[in-house]
Order: sequence, then C-alpha cells, then structure tokens
Amino acid sequence: MNIPPELIHISIALAAIAAFIGLNGLVLVYLERKVAGFIQRRPGPYEVGPWGLLQPVADAVKLVGKQLVRPKVADPWLYWAAPLLSFTPIFLLFLVIPFGPTLTGMEFNYGLLLILAFTGLNVLALCLAGWSSANKYSLLGAARSVAQSIAYEIPLLLAVLAIAFQFGTLNLTEMVHQQGQWPWQWNIMFQPLAFVIYFLCAIAETNRAPFDLPEAESELTAGFHTEYSGMAFGLFFLAEYAYIIVVSCVAVVLFLGGWQGPGAPGFWWFLLKVYALILVIIWIRWTYPRVRFDQLLNINWKWLLPLALVNLLLTLIFVKI
Amino acid sequence: MEHLAYVAFGIYTLIILTGGLMAVLCRSMVRALVGLILTLFGVAGCYLLMAAPFIALMQILIYVGAVSILILFAIMLTRAPAGAEEAPYIFPWRSLAALAVAFLPLAVIGGMIRSGQVAPLVPPEEVPLAELGQTLIEPYLLAFELISVILTVAMAGAVILGFERRIGK
Repeated sequence: MNIPPELIHISIALAAIAAFIGLNGLVLVYLERKVAGFIQRRPGPYEVGPWGLLQPVADAVKLVGKQLVRPKVADPWLYWAAPLLSFTPIFLLFLVIPFGPTLTGMEFNYGLLLILAFTGLNVLALCLAGWSSANKYSLLGAARSVAQSIAYEIPLLLAVLAIAFQFGTLNLTEMVHQQGQWPWQWNIMFQPLAFVIYFLCAIAETNRAPFDLPEAESELTAGFHTEYSGMAFGLFFLAEYAYIIVVSCVAVVLFLGGWQGPGAPGFWWFLLKVYALILVIIWIRWTYPRVRFDQLLNINWKWLLPLALVNLLLTLIFVKI
Repeated sequence: MEHLAYVAFGIYTLIILTGGLMAVLCRSMVRALVGLILTLFGVAGCYLLMAAPFIALMQILIYVGAVSILILFAIMLTRAPAGAEEAPYIFPWRSLAALAVAFLPLAVIGGMIRSGQVAPLVPPEEVPLAELGQTLIEPYLLAFELISVILTVAMAGAVILGFERRIGK
C-alpha cells in the first residue's frame, strides 16, 4: 500500500490552511480594532498584554467558553448546520490559491471557477441561519443577504470573466505567470475598471461595511446571526474574515501580479499585497457610513452591471485585435 | 486509485439517495430544499468521477449557488413557519403509486442495460475547456442559442407576471 504523493501534499496543505485561517482570524481582529481606533482617534484595545496584543486571544477564549444556545422553536438540524456550512468550504478555497511559485495546495485548471462556485455556499449558509433561527431580525438579515449577494454576484462574475478571457485560462498559477515583476506589468494597468468593479462587489459579497446590511447592528440587532452564541457565532465570524482574505487573494492574483514583485518574487510579495488590500477594506469600513438598501441595489443594477458589460465587450474587442 | 473511485462513487450515491429521500419525505419545505441541495452536490461529485470537473463546478455554481438560493428566497417570502403544516400524511395508495412510478424508469433502464451489450469500462479522459467551447459554438450552435432564447423568454415572462400583479393591486 503506497500512498499517492498528491494525497500527502493536500493533507499537509489542509493542515497549513487551518493554521493560517485561525492565526489570520486573531491578527485581523486585532488589526481591525486597532485601525478602527486609529481612525476614530481612540487607542483601541490596550489592556490585555503589551499594546493589547493578547486581546484577540482573550476574545477567542471567551467565545470558546460560552454556552451554545438554541432557541426553542428553531429548527434543530439546520440551526447547527448553518455555521458549519459557512465555515467548511473555506478550506477548499485556500487550496487552489497560489501563494508562491511552488506554494500551492493543489494545482487545479479551474481554480478560479472553484473559488467562485464554493463562495456561493456562504450565502446559502447565511440564509439557512437566518431562516432556522425563527427570529424576525434573522429572517430579515437573511433576505437582505440573498438580495445583495445574488445582485452583486453578476457584475463580479462578469468582471472575472473578462479577466479569464484576457488570460485565456482559469488556472490561477498561469494567470500569475502571465504578469510581470514590476507594477506596470500587473494586470490592474490593463483592467482598472474590472478591478474597481471586482473590489466593490467583493466588499458587498463579504458583507463588509458600507455594504453590511445583512448584519446591520443598528437596525437588525445582528442580522442573520442574532441568535447564535459562543463558537457558533465564532465560526460565522471566522468565516467572514476568511472570505475577506480569499477575495483579497483572488484580487491579488487577478490584478496585482500575485507573488510577482520587484527584486525577489515569492510568497512575501503575495502576503504583503493581500494585507495591503485588507487594510484598504478595513479603512473603507471605518470611513464610509452604511448605504441604504435601495442605494445598494441601485449602485449594482444601474452602475456596476452596465459597466461590467461594457468592460467585458471592450476586453473581447482587445483580445480579438 | 481505482478502488478509491469505487469508494467515492459509493459515497456520492449515498449522498444523492439521502438527499432525494430528504427532499421527498421532509415535512418542512426548507429541509426538503436542503435535501435537494445535497442531491445536487452528489451529482456534482459524480461529474468529478467522470473526469468533468468543469461541469461539476458549474453544477455547484449554478444549482447550489443560485437556483437553490432563489428557491429558498421564495420560501422565505411565503412566510412559512419553521414547523410548517403540510397536507396530512397519506400512506397506502399514493405512496405506493409514487414508489412504483419512481422505480419504473429504473426497471426499464436496468432491464435494457442487462439485456444489451455493455461497453467495457474505460477510465474517462478530461476534455479541455477550449474544446468544450468549440463544440458548443460549432456543431451545437443552434441548440446553444436556442437555450439563451428560452432563458430570455422566461425572464421576460417573469417580468410581465410581476407587472400584472402590481397593476391588479
């Protein structure tokens, strides 16, 4: 009995991804709160550990220790299935992302498609969470989440489709290979419109402010996860941060040259660009007020969708010439 | 690796059957929908086994990611309570008739396969995506375009239905 090497490779990759997701959750919670503090002219967390560095650990311990409560009228199966459904697909998403020239969990010809397909599961999870909680705020949050995700998925897919046409492949590693080392050789120089569309849609798809209507705390208490406590909420939370990393990774691969960078190409460039993008996302969250729901849908259907179609047409013309 | 394929086939079949049974037997609409989603997932797995990862991912992207979510949205809009009351459970005749109808195609196809010559199993080969696209726009161009016509008609119809209802109010 000999174990095929791909299996070992994937197992190690999955373990590494699990560690990466967990650590990233801690780092991003700290980063988010510190940046928010900086933007709002307050110190942010500073009590627990030096510079408040241990605050996320304390938060995590609190979340793990809390009791899991299910409302009496909630659907017992779906209520617990929803957070798991939100969290588990993430491992697959990270598996195909090329972190470095050789640092990819699984070389897959349809990597981009795999990411797009499995991020759709998150909407389903939010929907099930909202519905099975038997709470009107949860239900409203779920309904908003569906309307928002379905709408923003269309320009997102169109923008990504234009990139796929341009590169002629769905393999993320090959896409990086087709971009050069220097910033003016990156794809954002050729597809700035697609980048803007993708970035806006990505923020909306991950339910980040200013598009965080499914969990708008001032109107819906907490939206779809109102009833969840302890680690059930923790899983949603971790999943949300992981999806932010995934959309940033995809943006880096499609538009910012992936691991390519001046000097020595490697995973350090990739991580640097990903965290820069995440910082921008955090910056946007703490700068702009939440949009209204009609505004949210108007931005999508009246601006992003036509622009994405124009972009697709222009790309097709340029590819043909 | 060949044994692994059999194990995977077993798992996918189990997922498909469980999902199907859930979709038929669950009283709650949402649970039935979850059963349907499970079945769609299992089918995607079978596509993977047939070396068609593109179709498998498309199945997940379209059916799980879009169609089932729209169905869920429709269910939520009807404000069905969590423990929805459905029609009372009628066991003997209807269930038996449904079972018979369900097994009829199985019996017909199974009989045909058993009586005819079955081609030997060859490991399927993956078709490159470019070739798939070529096939769609060259020999099957008409069918491909007709599908988009159907979709356009369906969308236009939905819009018209929505408008009529609004005028009715």
